[in-house]
Amino acid sequence: MKSLIQKLVETIGPSGYEAPIREVIRAEVAPYADLVQVDALGSLIVRKGKSAKNGRKIMLAAHMDEIGVVVTHVDENGFARFSNLGGVSPRTCYGGRVRFLNGAQGVIGSDRMEDLTKMPTLEQLFIDLGASNSKDTRVRTGDVAAFERPFVDLGSRMVSKAMDDRIGVAILIEALRQLKDTPHQLFFVFSVQEEVGVRGATAAAYGIDPDLGLAVDVTGVGDTPKARKMDVGLGKGPAIKVRDGGMLADPRVVDWMVKAAEKAHLPYQMEVLEGGSTDARAIQLTRAGVPAGCLSVPCRYVHSPSEMVDTGDVQNSVRLLLELLSHPVEF
Amino acid sequence: MTDIPNLLKQLISTSGLSGHETPVRQLIEEAWKPLTHELTFSRLGSLHGLCCGAGAPPRPSILISAHMDAIGLMVTGIADGFLRLTSVGGIDARILPGQLVTVHGRQDLPGVIVSLPERLLPPHLRGQAIPLEYMLVDTGLLPERVKRLVRVGDLVSFAQQPFETAAETMVGHTMDNRASVAALTHCLSELKKQTHAWDVWAVASVQEEVTLGGAFTSTYQLRPNLAIAVDVTFASSPGSPSHRTYPMGEGPTLVMGPNIHPVLFKTLKETAERLEIPYSMETAPRHTGTDAYAMQIVAEGIPCMVIGIPLRYMHTPVEMVAIKDITRAGRLMAEFIAGLDADFMSRLTWDD
Repeated sequence: MKSLIQKLVETIGPSGYEAPIREVIRAEVAPYADLVQVDALGSLIVRKGKSAKNGRKIMLAAHMDEIGVVVTHVDENGFARFSNLGGVSPRTCYGGRVRFLNGAQGVIGSDRMEDLTKMPTLEQLFIDLGASNSKDTRVRTGDVAAFERPFVDLGSRMVSKAMDDRIGVAILIEALRQLKDTPHQLFFVFSVQEEVGVRGATAAAYGIDPDLGLAVDVTGVGDTPKARKMDVGLGKGPAIKVRDGGMLADPRVVDWMVKAAEKAHLPYQMEVLEGGSTDARAIQLTRAGVPAGCLSVPCRYVHSPSEMVDTGDVQNSVRLLLELLSHPVEF
Repeated sequence: MTDIPNLLKQLISTSGLSGHETPVRQLIEEAWKPLTHELTFSRLGSLHGLCCGAGAPPRPSILISAHMDAIGLMVTGIADGFLRLTSVGGIDARILPGQLVTVHGRQDLPGVIVSLPERLLPPHLRGQAIPLEYMLVDTGLLPERVKRLVRVGDLVSFAQQPFETAAETMVGHTMDNRASVAALTHCLSELKKQTHAWDVWAVASVQEEVTLGGAFTSTYQLRPNLAIAVDVTFASSPGSPSHRTYPMGEGPTLVMGPNIHPVLFKTLKETAERLEIPYSMETAPRHTGTDAYAMQIVAEGIPCMVIGIPLRYMHTPVEMVAIKDITRAGRLMAEFIAGLDADFMSRLTWDD
């Protein structure tokens, strides 16, 4: 699975510009799908199985977009000012590297800060593409880039700039591959534009009109030195979302997940996240409402170029998903 | 005739935090059963009560909504048998220390919210209101027992007992928005006494305090021609800004703003004046903070109205409302609905 993860996290695909990552995912899922479609917003939707008598129509969502930047202005010396696509913090930008969709690369520098104890704003940062004037610069206003940082395998832990949410993508792909038999009709949605307001899942959920929804995404942790108080940590199993900043998970879905984890003797943790949200929010509010929840992968340093997850948590997430999807839903 | 003070007491004594409304929904079901022709649930748990109109089918319909979910707290962690907390909905942490609560674990447990003694707080927090992360619930149980009975994600609700004052006002937690559920119930019993041409969907909606989720989804499912949200609004009290608060006990508020269809506002206002029901005018230049904000933009769009019940000390365990304002809001809606004829929609224009 690690080589799949590496391939996924090292493919570019900022919000709204998911074409490269979509093609990589399409190649991975095609052999296992009953039907592969791309919807009007660009989400990749894989249908699998027919609903048996006791089966449901279940939408599974992992977003394939990643946070990135967009050029707002290139000055006469070739320096590019930029804005954010999704939750990019200036804190993690300085000295970072970006790669544009056209292959151009650059590094992020900063205006001189009068007060070095203060953090620059995004407006005070720029991308240096190594050009000496605007004519040599390979980018112009509107060009889009993602952060550049190689995948690192630390053994029991893995690090990448795009674990959010390519790790969810990898878990869905792996579950699709390993799934032998399901009473459900499943829609594996690799959604677009999650980082700019769960927009891809909103449209996909409307189109699919599922009975039940489950997102697979990362969540924050409280297990680093002097961290915020949060009862989720790396290596303690997949997290079952009770709530986040944007939704309250359906209590029936939470129970379903807890029981499945216990039945399969898998470690799990209950997640109460105080900020942020996932595709599950969009699914829950679709049409006349859909019971929805989220299987979360604990992740350190979310939205930084070095997002860290635990390999065991990832494997147990696949196992939990398989347990959930292989049996009828009892509520 | 429903006994409104008694119903309201029961409503606020029954738990039903956002996303977990089942206990209170069962109580509302009981109250609405004799008043409606049909009761159903949405997939998210909102209660839909239908009162069929007397007009010829296909009949237009109006949705009247009051959210039944309550604000409260949630367990985020367990430290030596004490529970750490986060809020569900908007909670003012300043009023929490000393509050009695119920922890909904594997069984309901009484508890009290406590804060660290001043000398144990980080220096920058001394001498001021303490943030929620420095508060805990003490259930008095030994750590081992707490571990068995409580887990992260369990709900904590307020346990303050309701009481009636000498002036026919009632005090308690969760008057926001069970007072409006009571108003809807009063409306339904008034409607029973008269004929109405339109179908009426009474909705006790879920998750208003977090996502307006019940309002979005039930309105999509029921596709009414019109919708009214009833919710509490700020009542005046000493020091409150007079342009943003409304007198308690002097009638409901009729809300005006971009969330409201002006013809609906005008018709409700005329109805109130005809019946000599007192009211205040409330302006909402942006978000009304009610179900109507969601209902207005569902599907092809729904003309909306908002009726407010003035309430003092919002989002505290001592929210205060006047019983009279509740029955007035209920009666006003009933009379408005009874006056809706087959041609009302054709008069609901933007031209004049």
